[in-house]
Amino acid sequence: MRLRIQHETAYRYATPANRAIQILRLTPRGHQGQFVVNWRIDVDRDCRLQTTIDAFGNRVHSFTVDGRLEGLTIIAEGEVETQDMSGIVRDQVEIAPVGLFLRETPLTAPDEAIKAFADDVASEYGPNPLNLFHGLMLAIRERMRFDVRATDTGTSAAKAFAEGHGVCQDFAHVFIAAARHLGHPARYVGGYLFQPAIAQIQSQGDSSQAQIPAAAQDAGHAWAEAMVGGLGWVGFDPANGMSPTDAYVRVAIGLDYLGAAPVRGTRYGGGGEELSVRILVTETGRRR
Amino acid sequence: MLSRTADTLFWLGRYVERADNAARIIDAASRLATVPVPTAARSTEWDSALAAAGAYSAFAARHGEPTRDAAIDFLAFSPANPSSIRSCLETARNNARSVRTALTAEMWEAINGAWMELKRFDGAMMDRQTLNEFLSGVKEACLRFDGSAYRTMLRNDVYYFLRLGFYLERADNTARILDVKYNVLLPHESNVGGGLDYFHWASILRSVSALTAYRWVYHDSLKPWLIADLLILNEQLPRSISSCYGNLATYLDELSQAYGRQGPSQRTARSIRTRIQNTSISEIFQRRGLHEFLTEFIADNARLGEAIAEQYLA
Repeated sequence: MRLRIQHETAYRYATPANRAIQILRLTPRGHQGQFVVNWRIDVDRDCRLQTTIDAFGNRVHSFTVDGRLEGLTIIAEGEVETQDMSGIVRDQVEIAPVGLFLRETPLTAPDEAIKAFADDVASEYGPNPLNLFHGLMLAIRERMRFDVRATDTGTSAAKAFAEGHGVCQDFAHVFIAAARHLGHPARYVGGYLFQPAIAQIQSQGDSSQAQIPAAAQDAGHAWAEAMVGGLGWVGFDPANGMSPTDAYVRVAIGLDYLGAAPVRGTRYGGGGEELSVRILVTETGRRR
Repeated sequence: MLSRTADTLFWLGRYVERADNAARIIDAASRLATVPVPTAARSTEWDSALAAAGAYSAFAARHGEPTRDAAIDFLAFSPANPSSIRSCLETARNNARSVRTALTAEMWEAINGAWMELKRFDGAMMDRQTLNEFLSGVKEACLRFDGSAYRTMLRNDVYYFLRLGFYLERADNTARILDVKYNVLLPHESNVGGGLDYFHWASILRSVSALTAYRWVYHDSLKPWLIADLLILNEQLPRSISSCYGNLATYLDELSQAYGRQGPSQRTARSIRTRIQNTSISEIFQRRGLHEFLTEFIADNARLGEAIAEQYLA
């Protein structure tokens, strides 16, 4: 599937800021099922984008903007050709040792409830990790309700699980917490998901494509990857109860959301920050 | 486009590139042959030149142990060697003639001119000066063909098939040169950094015209792993495997967009490209071994050639 992605992150400051520093993990890299045809990052201020590779192998851009700043817009866009690999990720950049992905983080620390839940799932599905992860994914989906208003980016797995609702990020955190509790390396994946129904509404709203229409998604997607002996890293999306297909574009990985967050930053001075995110994922037509 | 036309264009590209590579290999070997060797040892530059051109066993079956003149004759002129410069240019010219209308006038002149020029030379006992004249003539003709294509052709499937031939051949050639010399690139205990090593390493870089590029990229004396890094992984070097695969993936992608469908060749090229992009030179040397990596790559590259043939050329 050939997907075109446009991702706009816009800050507005009621009181202008003096300086802003941003760190972006907005650039997908290739693996067996994913080929990046082209990709670029645009910032609407003069600055120098510095490119580095972080400890997980993510491509990171960072920049600093000086001077009176009333707003800041970052656009990442490009085309990615994807293939359905049944969630198996191969030939990706792998820098960190597998054992690192057993490390607990504040966002993914399991509480007693998650531990008990994980143990229940393990006793039901047995020791085969592939069965176990599929069982875990479906059990989380049954247990938790999708609710965009209930949580924010700082919500921990334990809190979201206790309240029984959250967004894809919380589902992924719970999955990771449970898998690690059972002794399996697991990690967080940030990326994009092509949803044909949404894409259709978007294209009806605006056909010019010059600007990202208002009906766009306001967040990317997130899922988890777990280590399966013999297969390597395999993706599981507990929010949708399936392994990633060719509708998924994998951008960044981390121990939890914070390690794979698309945009992180800080500013000096200013106030009344308003953040809006618009993401458009469409299937591109053939050129001729 | 008829698949026969596509096939002719693809091989036209391959043969022109192959002739160019053969000229570079002969050039590098004849430079290396001027370096003195210890009396007991036989110098081996013509063995490796033949091996790099993929002609060693065919040569050995005819002539036995390589000598300078026999090797140059076989690599440059022999009709018995289908990859000799003369055979390559002849096949390329025949191919060009049969798809004459798909090419631009400049391209046809370049390839036809090279073929006529070739008649001035014959292989017997060529002195150094005539050899140099001949080799630079071949390189210039290939350059003129390549440059004319770049400057005058429509960017459509005709151009893409020609380019696919170029880059597939080039990637194969770079991998073969490295593979033939890989034992020179491996660290020896006794003579690391010795004078002879230096000449061998420099000759590897020379055979892909990358000696100056090396100095620009690394600002360092010649180190075997850096040479391998440059020729395999550096996307900025036009003859590196990585750069060839960037182009192969791009042109296959253009083809798939032009025809509105894609198949095994796109997938194969992408997966090989991804694997090269996501590896590092320390991984290649330490975990897999340079020779194993290159053997696997040469097989992968051949697999892509087959996939392209099956999808478009048959």
